[in-house]
Formats: sequence, C-alpha cells, structure tokens
Amino acid sequence: MKFREIVESPCGIRYLFDELGLQSGYARKVLLDREMMVDPDRIDAAYASLRKYFDLVLSDRRRVEDMRFRLQGLRDISGTLASLAGGATLDEIEFFEIKHLAMLAQSLSMGTELETVIDILDPDGLRIGTFYLYDSYSVALRQLRDAVEQDPDDSQLQEDLANEEDRLKKVISDKLRPYAASLQQTLRELADLDISLAQAIQMHVEGLILPSSGSATTITGMFHPGVRAALRAKGREFQPVDFAFERGVPATVIGANMGGKTVALKTLCMLQYLYQFGFGLPAVSAVMTPFDEIRFCIGDEQDEKTGLSSFAAEMQRIDRAVAVVEKGGKVLLLVDEPARTTNPVEGTALVAALLQRLADKPNLALVMTTHYTVEHAGQCWRVQGLLPGTKGRRMDYRLVRTASHEVPHEALNIARELGIDAQWIDLADTIMKRQYE
Amino acid sequence: MPFVGEILRHRSVSIVGLAKNAGKTECLNYIIRRLPVEYFNVAVTSIGIDGETTDQVTGTAKPEITVREGMFFATSEKHFRQKRPLSELYDVGDEDTALGRVVTAKALQEGKVLLSGPSSGAALKRWMRSLKDFGIDLILIDGALSRLSTASPAISEAMVLSTGAAYSANIRDLVGKTAFVVELIRLPLFTGPEPALRVSSFSSLDPGLLKGNRVIEVEGALTDRLLQMVKNGLGEGEIELVVGDFTKVFCSQELYRAFVRRGGRISVRLKSELIAVCVNPVAPNGIVLDSDILCQELSAKIGLPVYDIVKNEYEI
Repeated sequence: MKFREIVESPCGIRYLFDELGLQSGYARKVLLDREMMVDPDRIDAAYASLRKYFDLVLSDRRRVEDMRFRLQGLRDISGTLASLAGGATLDEIEFFEIKHLAMLAQSLSMGTELETVIDILDPDGLRIGTFYLYDSYSVALRQLRDAVEQDPDDSQLQEDLANEEDRLKKVISDKLRPYAASLQQTLRELADLDISLAQAIQMHVEGLILPSSGSATTITGMFHPGVRAALRAKGREFQPVDFAFERGVPATVIGANMGGKTVALKTLCMLQYLYQFGFGLPAVSAVMTPFDEIRFCIGDEQDEKTGLSSFAAEMQRIDRAVAVVEKGGKVLLLVDEPARTTNPVEGTALVAALLQRLADKPNLALVMTTHYTVEHAGQCWRVQGLLPGTKGRRMDYRLVRTASHEVPHEALNIARELGIDAQWIDLADTIMKRQYE
Repeated sequence: MPFVGEILRHRSVSIVGLAKNAGKTECLNYIIRRLPVEYFNVAVTSIGIDGETTDQVTGTAKPEITVREGMFFATSEKHFRQKRPLSELYDVGDEDTALGRVVTAKALQEGKVLLSGPSSGAALKRWMRSLKDFGIDLILIDGALSRLSTASPAISEAMVLSTGAAYSANIRDLVGKTAFVVELIRLPLFTGPEPALRVSSFSSLDPGLLKGNRVIEVEGALTDRLLQMVKNGLGEGEIELVVGDFTKVFCSQELYRAFVRRGGRISVRLKSELIAVCVNPVAPNGIVLDSDILCQELSAKIGLPVYDIVKNEYEI
C-alpha cells in the first residue's frame, strides 16, 4: 500500500499531507510513492531518525530553515540518471542537472563521494553551480570556438566544432557513468531529508508526538488535526480522546448522536496510517502496533457517484474486508455504523452477526461504532455524552469503557438542545415511553 | 536613442503587441540592441509559445530574438536545444510544459534564440522571483501574441506597446483603436473610499443594489455585459467602477464612452507605466501605411512619442 493510495482516505489524512511544508515537488512524489511499513523494527528506525530531525528543529531552527531553503533547489533528475546508467551520452542540460544535484548535496554535507563528479563538471575549479562546455575541456574546443567567432559563416568550422562538442559530451558522460548509482542514492536521500524536515516541523506546529511500538494499541489524548483546525476556525477546541484496542478482542463504540464516534474512528484510522508511514502522531502518548492491512469501512460521497445505494456500497465494502480477514494476515478493521441505513430489526441482526462472524480471529483488531444494542464478548466503549446542566460545551466526547452494551437514549435530548420542533420531540417522547411500558 | 533610457528606470518591462505581426519582436530586438548590457544585468523571456520560427497562424517569418553577450534568457528545453549561442546554464525549472522545462542561461556570446518561457502569468512571476539570486537589474518580457495580460502591473512595472497595420489597415481606425487601449492603460489609480459593493460577474449583480452604491469593486473581468448592466441601472449622478488593472477591462470603446457620458468612471488598483508606443506600418497581407502620418496622428492623439523603429533605425 502506497501513501498515494491512502492520501484521499475518508479518515482525513489529506489535511496533514497538505499542511506538510515540502520544499520540492520531487519529495512530494517520493512521499506519495512510499510503501506502508509493516515491520515494527523499520518503523522504530524511521522514528529514531525523525526524532533526530525533531530535536534539530527545536535546537537549531535557523539551520533547519537554511537546509529547507537549499532543498527548494532539489529537482527530479531520475530520468537523467537513468539515461546515464543506461549508457547514453548526456547534453549540457543534463550535465547541469547532475552538477546542481552534487553541489546541493555537498552544501547539505551529503554525498561526499560526489566530489569527483563536481570536479568533472567544474574543470576550472570555480565551484559555482552553473554549467557549459568549458573551453578548458580541450584545446581543440577552444581553438574551434575562436575560429568560428572569427568566421561565423564557415559551415565546415561549425561542423567541426559541433563534432568536438559531441565528442566531449561522450567523454564526460563516460567519466560520470560510474557515479550513476551513487547519484541516484543521493537524489533519494535529499528527498528523504526534505520529507523528514517537513515532518519534524509539522510535529512542532501541530503538537504531534513520537509513538512507541508494542503488541497492543493504547492512545491517550488523540485528536484529529483537520477537525481541530475546522473547530478552531469557529473559535472552538477539539476535546482529546483516549482509546485502546488489541487483536482478538473486538471493540464497539456506542453513544449519542453527535458524540464524536465517527470522528474518533477516523482519528484511529489516521493515527494507524501515520504510524505506519512514520509521521508524528496527533496524541499525548501512543503505543502502536503495525498491521498488514488497514480497512476503514465508512460511507462516503463516492458511493453516490458510482450509483450504488449506500446500503449496497456499505455491504460490499464490509464483505471485501471480511475476505481480507479470512486470508489471515494482521488486519485492523474499522467499521462505522454498519447497517445503519436499514431497519433496526435487521440492522441489529446484521451487526450482531458480523461480530459473531469475526469472533475468534486472533489476528484481527476490530473497532466498530454502532447505534444498535448488541451483546458480544469483546469490549464496549461509550461516549460520555451530554453533560447535564452545563452551559457552553454540552457534549463530553470522551470515550469510557462500559460493561453494559445497552446504547444510550439521548437522541431526543440532543434534538431538544438543537431546538428542533418541540411538539414533534414531545410526541416522540410519549411514543417511546408507551413502548417501554 | 528613444525610450531606452526610460526602460532602464524599471526592473521589469513587457513588450506587448495589439495584434499578430504588429512589430513586437522587432521592437524587443531594437531595445536589446541598444541596452548597455555591459553595465546592466538584463534577462529576457517570453510568455507562452511565442518563439516559433514561423508565425503559426499566418505563416510569415517570425524573427528570432538576438541576445547579447552577458544577457540572461529563459526558454524551453526544446528551444534551448534547438538554437542558441554558447550559453552558461544557470537554472533548469521544476515545471513541465509542452516544450519541456524552462531553462535559464547566460549568453556567453551574441546569438539568436527562440524564446518560449514560462507558460502562465503565475509561472512567469515565479520565474522572475527565482532570478533574484543572479543579480538581475532588468527583466524584459516578450508578451504573448495579442495577450495584454503580460503587461499587467501585477507582473511587470512598465510596458512598451506595439501596434500597426496588422491591427487595422486604416490609419484613422488604427489610431482610434490604439488610443483607446492607451486610454485604458492610463486609467487613474483608485483613491478611495473603499467600495461597499463587490461584483464578480454580470450574473451576480443585483441591479437594485446600484441605487445605493456609487463605488463598486469589480472582481475579475469588466465585460460589456457587466458594464451595460451598470450603465442601465445607473440613474443620475456619478458612479465609479474599481478594477484590478487595465488588463481586466474587456469592454468595447462605444460602451465605455456611453458609460462615461452618463457620469461613469473606471479606476484601477494597480497602474502600469506606458513607456512608448511603436508602430509597424506593414501588414502581413501586404498593405503598407504611411509611417510618418501614422506616427504623427497617433502621437498627437495620445500625447506620447510614437516610433517606427524599423523604418527609422534610430541612432544609438
């Protein structure tokens, strides 16, 4: 799974990608092409490296900004380097690109073995980042250039000059060829540096943290950066939430409407992706564990575009996820209110059955939000819900473990808070009470 | 040496033509020939694909730009590889266009180049900013054919306008049309107070609102339809329309005059300085106008010297 494939995920990771201050288009491309990490050792190594850059951001911001300014000059010359490795004769534009890359790396104390490359492309030892076929490449070149300048209309001289230039381009290309792999690696390292610095600065700006790896997931104070930004624009704050889950123990999240269940699920999904792509996490602390597959089942507007009813799209999405679980790899499955668009009788049955179907899967971590009361052997979390009597913040979004799987009946109270037609809600209240008596 | 001294007082100058074959390229070459490039770092580029060897529409020969030793120029990879004097590469851009990336180089000897620089106004501005490390004193921009947008003061400080028989084959008509463009270039700067009403297009304008608002900000283009609506809803008294700059005005001369007669006025947020007007009395279809009469009449109408640089080959 590449970053490119999850950047539009409904979990909203796009926000952090957009806010990432990458300096070069090439780094953006490299990041989008990055594969999701599944090996905890690799992830830990990535975070060890990010910690270094984060420390640098805190200790020497000036140096970081200087490095980022230089990285604006990073260009994708992988095509040129592939031509070089493939035996082609390069031209001035391509020599310029290579010299530019080597000097950029040198200015960032990287690619020290590229000193020879710079020597080849800087025969006069000027150490400036420009390039042309310097007169000093050959005596013949200088003499022919002088001759053509004296007699610009002599076509034989012009041809001789062109031939000498072509010969030199081949000589220079051959000299550079042994460094093609080294240049490729430097190019890649510079893109990685651009990404790491941008991630480290984002950690500082958004208040992100470095997680540790463990066998289960425990997060405190998680928040959704995109939702937080939208709330802040309206003068409100995001209430951080704690959550924990592990493989083999299904978890359901129940709670009032507007209680933040879906946002919590999106945040969990985003944290998991961020962890497996080595970004800082929006939380106070986090112990994370990698999965081979992350599946997020949530209705989105894409369903309407494909012409499927929301029920059909949802059922098919969960069906595909179940098939993935059956394959046996480590899977994180996040399902937002399954069967919510159908009647509560069949809906409850579908949800209860899905939990049974996915019971006893030791490699599966399942987190599901629902409005239905379903008993299961796993854990149940509940949104704190409406705080009685308080003005201002009326909803407490925190999630708490609960023994009862009975969903709270707060929809009518919330509707009243929203100022919905009182006669309607009072009638609903009467009907409810009659049913329960 | 007409108007070259004026050019050196600015950091960026666009050369724009009112029509194809209005003599824009000759005008640019004239300026380049007379610039003291020994003392000033000059960079030249064009916007869009205006560097073809033959004019794509009429097939007439399109002269190349002659850059002088020490001058910077920006063109596409394709045209850089095709034709250039010995040049030192300074930058290869990041944005891909149909003709490849934009290459910035310094000519190490005099020679001809095909100019095809950044492909949009925004890309052009980014390129201009990227030059600041090279110590450039003056940037010349070869505006795209019949596209005045390059001359927007948001991009360049000053402009040279070229017009000619290709724009109109009748002297009176040519003078009238050119003078109208000059009039728009000279629209006064907006001085306040800040308008309470902003409109972006004729469809978003509620005619009822015109009654209480005498100063209206036009966001984007001022079209004939929008101006017509304002004029019709004007009633009595003065009204002022505020536009970004003269390149946002796309209305006919007749309608503009009618608007002004009713007490209307247009002002701009940013103003471009018009340095000179050059004429080319020869049209691609063979019509040749009397150069002296053309220069005299246009000059009298706009109150600015007008030059036929091809015919007169002014002394350096």
